[in-house]
Amino acid sequence: MKRFIVPFLLLFLFVFEGLFTQLFPVDIFNGQYIFVPRFLIIAIFFLTIYGNVKHGIINGFLFGLLFDMVYTEVIGVYFFLFPLSAYLFLKIMKIVQTNIFLVSFVSLICVAFLEAGVYMLNLLIQITSMDFSKFTQIRLVPTLAMNLIFVLFVAYPFKRQFEKFADALRND
Amino acid sequence: MPQFFLNKRLIILLVSIIILVALIGFSIRDRANLSWPEKFVKDTTGWVQSLVATPTQYVVGIFENVKDLQNTYEENKELKKHLEDMARLEAKVYSLEQENSELSEILKIEGSVGDYEPMQATVISRSPDRLWHEMIIVNKGSSHGVEKNMAVMTARGLIGKVKSTTPFTSTIQLLSALDPTNRISAALQGDKKLFGTIEGYDKENEWLLLKGLPIDSEIKEEEMVVTSGLGGVFPGDVPIGKVIEVVPDQFGLNQTAYIKPEADFYNISHVMILTRGMTIPDEVEEDEQVDEENEGDDL
Repeated sequence: MKRFIVPFLLLFLFVFEGLFTQLFPVDIFNGQYIFVPRFLIIAIFFLTIYGNVKHGIINGFLFGLLFDMVYTEVIGVYFFLFPLSAYLFLKIMKIVQTNIFLVSFVSLICVAFLEAGVYMLNLLIQITSMDFSKFTQIRLVPTLAMNLIFVLFVAYPFKRQFEKFADALRND
Repeated sequence: MPQFFLNKRLIILLVSIIILVALIGFSIRDRANLSWPEKFVKDTTGWVQSLVATPTQYVVGIFENVKDLQNTYEENKELKKHLEDMARLEAKVYSLEQENSELSEILKIEGSVGDYEPMQATVISRSPDRLWHEMIIVNKGSSHGVEKNMAVMTARGLIGKVKSTTPFTSTIQLLSALDPTNRISAALQGDKKLFGTIEGYDKENEWLLLKGLPIDSEIKEEEMVVTSGLGGVFPGDVPIGKVIEVVPDQFGLNQTAYIKPEADFYNISHVMILTRGMTIPDEVEEDEQVDEENEGDDL
């Protein structure tokens, strides 16, 4: 039973991101800044470190593809960048200690990497022509600030949930 | 050298880059329809999304109702003022409509570009990848009669066009998207009707750009901009916004007007998808297909 909680949690976060974007009060700060919820990828990061590496990367691929199909209609960008940033996260975590504060901090760094990667690819395929400093100002920094708040709330519950998941996998 | 090719990680990276390029190339070319796996996935997630969206919107609705109650008194005053004008306007509209239908009967005109049939739809999700993809997903799809490129509006004005459809959901691209192929034929409602195309969006001020207006025309501020209906897909006379500022374009051959959109691109919960009432004669349609191949999406 515990094994099914994780895919459901990820699916819920996937749907929740869309709903959150729709209901988020954009009028704050005169609608100048764009806050992108990156809850799903943060959960995937926590899954790779506290749960199971293989499951983390595979879920990265699956949800990346789903994200591309449903939310962007440009297939490939997130399909490529979700697993890549999860892999990068894993590489960084091999260097630093795995305490919960560092995990949260590194996951935010990897969210920044993901955002920058998405921006670069969109620049390459000419979906946008915005320059990098403007992108940083109106999207990257507000997004990191909002996801920081999210991480503060969910870091501990995520850790517990994914450790239980890892236990369940080991017992099978 | 053999070491280089045996490096497993490098090969995986190279193969995935090839797949990435192929997939992106496949999906950004101008597609008439989505492939069936995409349709299937979008419909399934659409079902889940509407399961979650319906109760949340109900709860949000309750909060909004409470908020509305707070300024009921002020609003009531304002509305009463409008109401006095209303009766006079209604009588006038009635007689004008009567006159119009009589006259077009005499002249044997059938329908006008301004005819459309609205279809109500509820927003079930919005793309989190904002700024690059300004899209909303609604709960009406091709089985309800929605087609690609239809105009979409809220009660206040035009907000975008249908980007793709699946049997039970459709994706709407908003006018605020930074997509260079997003062009809409528009008309200025001044003393003399002027035509241009809506091309581009100014993110900083949240203004739309109306380009291609003649250089010698005098355009006043606060003039209404509506869709012209000449593109063949959008119906005419759907309000878009009001003129804020007029500047000559970079070569000095045309004028560009900045337009403040009437509709709010943020808090959208219900939309109307417009089906054009008047059909295009066959010959014109063929010509237009040739044009479209040359110029892309000119709506």
